[in-house]
Amino acid sequence: MSTEKIIYSTDGLPLEVSLRKAERKNKLKAALLVGPLFVFILITYLFPIADMLFRSVDDRMITKLLPKTFIELEKWDGKALPEENVYEALYRDFYPLAIAKESGKLFQRLNYEKSGFSSGLKRTNRKIKNFEEGNFKEQFIEAHKIWNNVEYWVALKNTAPNFSYVKYLKGLDLKLNQDREIIRVEEDRRIHITLWLRTIKVAFWVTIFCFILSYPIAHLLATLPMKYSNLLMICVLLPFWTSLLVRTSSWMVLLQQQGPINDFIVMIGLVSDDSRPELMYNVIGTFVAMTQILLPFMVLPLYSVMKTISPSLMRAGKSLGGTPFVAFRKIYFPLTIPGIGAGSLLVFILAIGYYITPALVGGASGSLISNTIAYHMKSSLDWAFASALGAMLLTGVMVIYWLYNKIVGIDNIKLG
Amino acid sequence: MKKLSKLLLALSFVLSITTSAFAVTVVSWGGAYTESQKLGYGDPTAKKLGIPVNWVDYTGGLSEIKAQKEAGKITWDIIDVYAKDTIIGCDEGIFAEIDFDKDLAPAPDGTPASKDYFTSMPSKCAVGNILYSWNFAYNTENLKSAPKTMKDFFNTKKFPGKRAIYKGAMSNLEIALAGDGVKAGKGGDAIYKMLETEKGMQRAMDKIKALCTDPNGGCVFWNAGAQPPELLANGEVVMATGWNGRFFNAEVGEGSPIAQVWDAQILDYEYFALVKDGPNYANGKAMAVLREMTSTEGLAGSAKYIAYAPWRKSSIAVMQAGEPWYKDGKTNMVPQMPTAPQNTKNYILMNPDFWADNQDEIGEKWEAMKAGL
Repeated sequence: MSTEKIIYSTDGLPLEVSLRKAERKNKLKAALLVGPLFVFILITYLFPIADMLFRSVDDRMITKLLPKTFIELEKWDGKALPEENVYEALYRDFYPLAIAKESGKLFQRLNYEKSGFSSGLKRTNRKIKNFEEGNFKEQFIEAHKIWNNVEYWVALKNTAPNFSYVKYLKGLDLKLNQDREIIRVEEDRRIHITLWLRTIKVAFWVTIFCFILSYPIAHLLATLPMKYSNLLMICVLLPFWTSLLVRTSSWMVLLQQQGPINDFIVMIGLVSDDSRPELMYNVIGTFVAMTQILLPFMVLPLYSVMKTISPSLMRAGKSLGGTPFVAFRKIYFPLTIPGIGAGSLLVFILAIGYYITPALVGGASGSLISNTIAYHMKSSLDWAFASALGAMLLTGVMVIYWLYNKIVGIDNIKLG
Repeated sequence: MKKLSKLLLALSFVLSITTSAFAVTVVSWGGAYTESQKLGYGDPTAKKLGIPVNWVDYTGGLSEIKAQKEAGKITWDIIDVYAKDTIIGCDEGIFAEIDFDKDLAPAPDGTPASKDYFTSMPSKCAVGNILYSWNFAYNTENLKSAPKTMKDFFNTKKFPGKRAIYKGAMSNLEIALAGDGVKAGKGGDAIYKMLETEKGMQRAMDKIKALCTDPNGGCVFWNAGAQPPELLANGEVVMATGWNGRFFNAEVGEGSPIAQVWDAQILDYEYFALVKDGPNYANGKAMAVLREMTSTEGLAGSAKYIAYAPWRKSSIAVMQAGEPWYKDGKTNMVPQMPTAPQNTKNYILMNPDFWADNQDEIGEKWEAMKAGL
């Protein structure tokens, strides 16, 4: 190396150093340009996701409020009612909270674990101020019957760890028993698995329907003369610019049993007036409305890919002796796969998070996993559980993305 | 000219900022309901006290105010909430506790506020605003005879056709037991007692399931309060549960061919809650506005525009003296109130404690039942 002749730039510095200097300047400029975007993504995207992931496992509040109780509960085997020492520890924790009016947080938090905690704790909260020293077990049980029930104690003990994954278990209809083994919840409460499967099923079929409908449309758009294709493009985009709720409500008008579609098929004599088919408040309504709403997300990527395929390729295929079908299958279709991939991923991911449309037109089958997330965000305020479900949904989307990358390859995706 | 318009623009901007900073923000559900509140007592209060009142719409639940509190920037002063939300909000320290006799206005004859209200409050942070009803209605053109009781609602032999019911379990479990022949007892105590038991819960679920799977019946689940009258009017269903104010509006306001049935109605409430540490909490303006809006005259005012009952007994007396009270000048409002004697022969009082305790568990069971329909 040392024998090599060093090249100098005009300002007398070694070329290597001077180049690096210029490079650094450029890099800094680039970083400054990207900076605002990076900060934006950090604040609006990465930070909330991290916060959500953290919330879903964070369970410190309760441990902080009832420290003595949890120390005593550690030795408890979870079989029979705990001994006096546990009740006394609970009293020592609970009493100051009740006096300082800080016990309210406990009510809701524990009620998420087991229904009935809220009113039980509330009653206890009122009565604990009159407790006397000694014989706490009896006094607690007299204050409310939940303290005489092992199940409530097990539920309480299971909240002891600072960080826990029980919310994720709950999202899969599982829970911990007194030995901290994972068991399934009661049969009449197993709902989340059903919702997950239903969500995936709806998203899958909507993607398929979107694909079947979009492919010819996109092909027409790409091959028609400009004059007509522009008009067609507007027809695709116009609904895209219309509010989601307006489109959903329009479908409700069209699909109802006394609505125009039903009127029409009765008029042409397909069905009799008193056996009008139900086109709404079932999965048909969900599929129809969601497919129409998500259609542009499939048409646009397909169109942009098809636009780049030269028509001469198909002609070449046919001139080499292929039937139109063979030429399509061997040449055209493979070239559109990047567009299909992009469109399908877009539609599937959007569909998996949908909830307003299915809730309005889907009837009893219209509640999907996102509705449950919204319910826990807005109504029950169990944000930890909502976060856990959100994280699971996110994981699901990432798995699909990974699978897609494995099977088709992510470089093969094309949005335009 | 250009300069002037710029100046005006800047001025109006500054003005709008300052007024909104001084205004007391009241958050409610929007639509005809907020309209009735604004016209009934919002505007008169603002005029009387000289404190601007700013109305904001929301879709219910405590998530927004909880987020505001966590972020340390509360912008709401008073929120119109459900009973269970006043309970949760009170427990979590979001709302301020109210001393009825000290903080609220007495009736005109001097009766203290705590004695002027129909029932007690579900939490110390709740101030009753209106009483409304989950009752049911039918399309008078689509049914040969008129249903009269909750049993008729579930009688698909005599009244074939689909029913519209609320999408959640709330209200449906109560009416299921009433429709199955369970006597409501005093204010529905017997119903809730039965729902506390495993067997009673199952019975209610089975009743709904039977109605929805009946080939002569069937269910449509509604989400929004505007849906039930609409579903009745366009013949999608023959009977629908819903909120009486909406039915009244369709029946009297729009002249739709629907009629209401009050048997086994569920009386439910709306409350105001004062946000602790809201922008106008410390200076007492929020409390002053709350006091004025929930006065006898104030609460009676909103019933001029919507068929929900003011919570104060003295407000009903004001309405009675002023009949016809409805804004059209010819409809008597007192008989339209859910609290009117002829409407409360058999009624259920919504039990917020029951729902605060069990909503999650029942919600899961309800969804599981619906999944099997």
